[in-house]
Amino acid sequence: MKSEELCYLTIAEAAAGLRRKDFSPVELTAALLKRIESVDGRLHCFITLTGDQALRQAQQAEQELGSRKDCGLLHGIPIALKDLYMTENIRTTCHSAVLENWVPDHDATVVMKLREAGTILLGKLAMHEFAFGGPSVDAPFPAARNPWNTDHIPGGSSSGSGAALAAGLCYGALGSDTGGSIRTPSSHCGVVGIKPTYGRVSRYGVVPLSWSLDHAGPMARGVEDCAILLQAIAGYDVKDPASANADVPDFSSGLRREINGMRIGVPRARWFDENLGVDRQTEALFDQALKTLEKLGATISEIDGKPFSMARKANQTILVCEAYAYHERRFQEAPEKFGSSVRRRMLEGGFLSAADYINAQRARTALNEEIGENFSQVDVFATPSAPRPPEAFATMDPNEQNLRPSFTNPFNLTGLPAISVPCGFTRENLPVGLQIVARWFDEATAFRVAYAYEQATEWHKQRPEL
Amino acid sequence: MANGQITLDELRNMARQAGLKLSDDELQRLLPGINRSRKQVAELRAIVSLETEPAISFKRPRAQQK
Repeated sequence: MKSEELCYLTIAEAAAGLRRKDFSPVELTAALLKRIESVDGRLHCFITLTGDQALRQAQQAEQELGSRKDCGLLHGIPIALKDLYMTENIRTTCHSAVLENWVPDHDATVVMKLREAGTILLGKLAMHEFAFGGPSVDAPFPAARNPWNTDHIPGGSSSGSGAALAAGLCYGALGSDTGGSIRTPSSHCGVVGIKPTYGRVSRYGVVPLSWSLDHAGPMARGVEDCAILLQAIAGYDVKDPASANADVPDFSSGLRREINGMRIGVPRARWFDENLGVDRQTEALFDQALKTLEKLGATISEIDGKPFSMARKANQTILVCEAYAYHERRFQEAPEKFGSSVRRRMLEGGFLSAADYINAQRARTALNEEIGENFSQVDVFATPSAPRPPEAFATMDPNEQNLRPSFTNPFNLTGLPAISVPCGFTRENLPVGLQIVARWFDEATAFRVAYAYEQATEWHKQRPEL
Repeated sequence: MANGQITLDELRNMARQAGLKLSDDELQRLLPGINRSRKQVAELRAIVSLETEPAISFKRPRAQQK
């Protein structure tokens, strides 16, 4: 098998190949490291590469699989982490000068779980500084670029995770999502990412942006791979106060079930046309995706988008207040250490009152109820994952995101599980994503609908030319 | 603070009270975003009733939970 073909295997394919001895974990790891060396100078996905350690872990996995100590589907699979997951003895920067040389003395819970599952860590990935703002032009590390067109942003804040997957530089990655930071780069890079239900995955050892909105979750090149990764990292963690003591189902077992009769709600009215509205090509691809879902047996109905539209306002208010509270001392002592983009956005939280924050949390209660009531009529919601395709770095307008509907924010506010799956390309060959949102703790249904759509289309098989 | 919107002078005072040392240039750049945030908060206030509690709750320390 050619080196590039090896790099673009899915986790499920790589796991099967390892057990057939078609290739070894060392060969997979070496192929990826070679590709990283060849293309990452243009993409800037990695902040820290842990190549030597990865090869040692690969040798160990090879021995273990050879001696029939099999930890499961992720054993011997190379992955990478957004650089806000704490990693023992490996620098964790949050893409910021503030933490440029910080080396944690312990792993995040999910990092430990992935290690126990036998994964191989290739390195730490670029992101938006502290998972907020936009691509950093004044950070100590370059901003990741979109493999589909390096003049364009990969989306964020898990920018390196999306770009590395699209470029075939790892088989799976972790992102984090406070307002769309897993789903937006998944959409912009043509890969799959799920923000699980709030509390499903431990955030212990994940540098916070906003405690009540932060979600940890996986990204990969296919729905099945995301299910495999979520299986490994989900579950109660006593160290995370928001962790839910809920049963973790088998996320892969229902993937191949039909979606005949699935009721899909589209909250278009009073949301999609907000301010500048949705980009026309994006909405056309989204409508095409709905037709595909209908052909698969789902029924589509329109629901009121107003509460979803209001949710962004509450999400943003809570986010800036909590983010500012976390960084307050740093802003008082050395604000110049933050990049201009994150500083401008986070400082807004310093000028809102306690009553403003509490009222946003009260609005959250009301909006949660209103949005949740829709589940008496529909099984899932569908929206585009992002209101427009990835912008070019040169013409990017940081204010524009406030002038278009945010399709991701409402599901951080509500904590509902939401997945982004590729649903086509614009005329400029830039990817567009479809978002499927399920009931609380029903990631399995989000996976099932996304998988049915993915398998009925060819979008996930496209690769960028690098 | 007409209609909840603030001026540069008011923002300068608020920054001082918050212990933030920011230049006038930076405060000027921040002002539109802060006023947008304040407008959003006013819109949110309109959708909550007196009975609506915030989506936050106190949790006892784990050691005291049975």
